[in-house]
Amino acid sequence: MIASVAFRNFKALRSTGLALSPFNLVIGPNGSGKTSLIQAVLQLHNLARLPLRQSGAETERRPEGAEITFRFSPPYDGLEASLGCVSDTMCDLLQVIPLSTGEGVDDWAGLRARLLTVRNYMFEHTAIAAPSSDRDYAELTLNGGNLATVLSARRIHHPEEFARLAAELFRMMPEYDEIEFVELPGRLIDLKLRLADTAEWVVAENLSQGTLYVLALLTLVFDPAPPAIICIEELDRGVHPRMLREMRDLLYRLSYPKETGSQKPPVQVIVTTHSPYLLDLFRDHPEEVVITEKHGAAARFTRLDQCADLTNVLSSGSLGDLWFSGVIGGVPEEK
Amino acid sequence: MKLAILSESPADEAAIAVLVEAVIGHKFTRVQSSLRARGWPSVAQVLPSIIRHLHFNTDADGLIVVVDSDDSVVHTAPHEAPEYYHPMCRMCQLRAIFRQTMKKLPPAHGRDRILRGVGVAVPAVEAWYLCGLEDSVTEANWIAGQTAAQPPYTRRQLKGRAYGTERPNLYQETEIAVREARRHARDTRRLEYDFPGFASLASELRAWPKVS
Repeated sequence: MIASVAFRNFKALRSTGLALSPFNLVIGPNGSGKTSLIQAVLQLHNLARLPLRQSGAETERRPEGAEITFRFSPPYDGLEASLGCVSDTMCDLLQVIPLSTGEGVDDWAGLRARLLTVRNYMFEHTAIAAPSSDRDYAELTLNGGNLATVLSARRIHHPEEFARLAAELFRMMPEYDEIEFVELPGRLIDLKLRLADTAEWVVAENLSQGTLYVLALLTLVFDPAPPAIICIEELDRGVHPRMLREMRDLLYRLSYPKETGSQKPPVQVIVTTHSPYLLDLFRDHPEEVVITEKHGAAARFTRLDQCADLTNVLSSGSLGDLWFSGVIGGVPEEK
Repeated sequence: MKLAILSESPADEAAIAVLVEAVIGHKFTRVQSSLRARGWPSVAQVLPSIIRHLHFNTDADGLIVVVDSDDSVVHTAPHEAPEYYHPMCRMCQLRAIFRQTMKKLPPAHGRDRILRGVGVAVPAVEAWYLCGLEDSVTEANWIAGQTAAQPPYTRRQLKGRAYGTERPNLYQETEIAVREARRHARDTRRLEYDFPGFASLASELRAWPKVS
């Protein structure tokens, strides 16, 4: 979907860029631009909703104002999207520029339709565990707060997809064998899981953080109409290190659907993490790891597969340990 | 017989259990399920603690450890010479860790020491799964490639060829790993011939005293 993004003066991203893969794991110290990358994608999503405007119209711009430039993969590689910003954090202008080569030069409408589906998630277990309004079923909200309603609606409208989700949940967490929904006063819906051993029901507020996050992730993965791009911040939060392999595998189903026999269109995935255990899982796919670094006030991106002498570096330890050691970068500056 | 297996993933563990049963000729009881290491050098780091734990806190008869060689020096016949130790060979390193850890331990649970079974998959366990299916995938070919600085395949390619995708999920990986291990279990001679890193494990297992 997004082939590359280049930044100028956007927050700490003064002059940097990176090529994006179908799957992208972004690692780096706090304040190094991981979230800024996701915010840039969201700015593109937000501005794509509006009619295209001409540069310089209505808004006075600083010459040194922030600019973010996106290129896309086929069938939209004939277009470039440039975001102009009134400050180093707020973009208000989207220009779509046809390129001399590539497909889709005349298909901004098609690209726009895909960009409008972009979703960003920062799951919060307390929000996920709370009952949600029965009217809020269209798509999972940023913090996962309407999970019960979305899943309840999915069971009614997409029973096959719901059954696949439930089967995957029970495989990953064999302590449960049933999922059910409860209607509460005030048009609220709650969810509960049944313990396989005792047949007791566990309501959402008593489920572990990790269970709730896994449920939220499964809800995205088994979406009957997946978005073009999903961004997830802190994928590892609340999840046991050994469960991270399953989390990665779930997201790979989105990015590489054909490899699991799915006919769904691929979803570009951008996730951030601070977990060396999650990073360990990308030893064979260094091209999927983006390292953010901050030097002084400026941050920049590099890809792990661009690391000098990577083969020898990888021979000396696990990726997570190498990251912590500072060998591959992506660690806080120390003065 | 009560055994523990230390491996890098649940898929590897399931396949190794099948292979071990084929070599020892009977089923065994898993003492401590789900011992896991995060690849090399994590295995070497956690192994002494695992040996001590199994020795003192369980009635395990033996511990089986299987690791990938990755790009390290492959264990060859000269390494088997008495007192020989190659510091870059994972088989030599693992055996040394067993020796050094166990010689300090007093008897416990009615046994002097737990039995050792070490295997090294060259360059990765997926090569074992492809053994007999692709003639070019052998330990000898890998060593020849290393010598010529032209590896015949990468870990990633082996994954793609073994699982049909470079990004198998755990379910796919386990299913195929166990399927191929069962194929070898019918007759382990080809795997032992093509992969001395497995033959070493098999040899150690066969040398174990009979335990009721």
